[in-house]
Amino acid sequence: MRVLLDDVILRRGSFQIAASGTFSEGVHLVTGRVGSGKSTLALALAGALPPAAGQIVEDGIMSRTLALPFPGYHVTGETLEEEVASWGQMTAPVLDAAGLTGRGGEDVLRCSQGELKRLVLSCMLAREWDLLILDEPYCSLDCAWKVAFSGRLGERRTGITVIFTHEDEILPRVDEIWEIQDGRLVPLGRVPEAIPRWSRPPRYIRTALDAGALPENITPGDVRDALCRTRG
Amino acid sequence: MIGITGLSHRVLEIPDLLLPAGRVAVIGPNGGGKTTLLRLLAGIDLPIAGEILIDGHPPRSREVGWVGEQPEREILFHRVSDEIASPLRFRHDPCPLVDERVKVVAGELGIGGLLGRETRDLSAGEKAMVSLGAALAARPDILVLDETDSNLDQESDGAMEGVIRGISCPHVLQATQRMELAARADHVLFLERGRVLHAGSPSAVFAALSGTPFLPPSRWCR
Repeated sequence: MRVLLDDVILRRGSFQIAASGTFSEGVHLVTGRVGSGKSTLALALAGALPPAAGQIVEDGIMSRTLALPFPGYHVTGETLEEEVASWGQMTAPVLDAAGLTGRGGEDVLRCSQGELKRLVLSCMLAREWDLLILDEPYCSLDCAWKVAFSGRLGERRTGITVIFTHEDEILPRVDEIWEIQDGRLVPLGRVPEAIPRWSRPPRYIRTALDAGALPENITPGDVRDALCRTRG
Repeated sequence: MIGITGLSHRVLEIPDLLLPAGRVAVIGPNGGGKTTLLRLLAGIDLPIAGEILIDGHPPRSREVGWVGEQPEREILFHRVSDEIASPLRFRHDPCPLVDERVKVVAGELGIGGLLGRETRDLSAGEKAMVSLGAALAARPDILVLDETDSNLDQESDGAMEGVIRGISCPHVLQATQRMELAARADHVLFLERGRVLHAGSPSAVFAALSGTPFLPPSRWCR
């Protein structure tokens, strides 16, 4: 199972981004500045934006989904239980996973942004996907839920998971890191070797690297262990 | 000083609270009442019960700057320069003063290059910066930011924080999930289930939050 980006050029208006590389099974993190093209690339990987040049070649991808940054764009049901049902899922376990137990009859648009994000992510993560693309999955989540979803994302062992984010305090365990630099998607390689190659890592990882600590992975726990070990 | 007494509104129950002037970070779990409180402080909503006074005046009598989490829902105009100019034009400021103020604000935010762009073509983070520009254009008495930073990267976030530190606005209320940012505020308010569980200096509040996910990375190894 893989997705190959073969000299791909993506254009939206005057904006352009180039991408080459292979997303294989595992959890991938794609970072880059706001406006660098993360969402454009996410759309292209989801098949919603055809390349202006080059090609995207899929191998063994039978199912895919894309989580949009603003969860309200996903809503099709009037109540929480209707929304869960629209994803073909059982209400109770999904609401439990989203921390919304017993609220199935409530109007979905009366949820806070964070609650809505938890609902949509929990619906998506209730089943397996060959290709799961998450565009800014941490936006609107509080710190406790960022930790909770990081745990779930980092545990994914099947399929290709691609996380596009500028989150800089809480990230999941990942297999590979990619970075958008100067209009081009750059593969930094597998973790942990990729971590020091990161040109603009999240601040907590920069702090660890500056202190001479190389974490085993990029979760706050990994980085905290490495940093506190270095500081004795 | 912001004074809150006998406040009861939706999930919020705040019997008595004083917030000093300066930058106040409002933190806590989703659904805890952060947005509800900020909307009251901005005068967007009126409390069902209780009173809020900003330097002795109700919020609706103050000049308020507001930026929400989804600026694209709040942006009114097609051109960036028109959006930033909007609060000044709404109060009929003279055109030369408006044009000058728009340039100054855009320069302070580092978005001078966006002034001629269409707002719909901007990224989410750029839209947030434009909305901040519109909020600051009228020199507000109180600036309210509702998790606006969730769509900003660390450079934009740093630029926004730098601008906010430099402005003369007496009250800045900022809901955030970035604990490092909250740790640099003058005052921190931790809301959960509509109640103020902790309020005080960043040191005092984060000492109380030790062992929770709400601890900023700079305090991990203490």
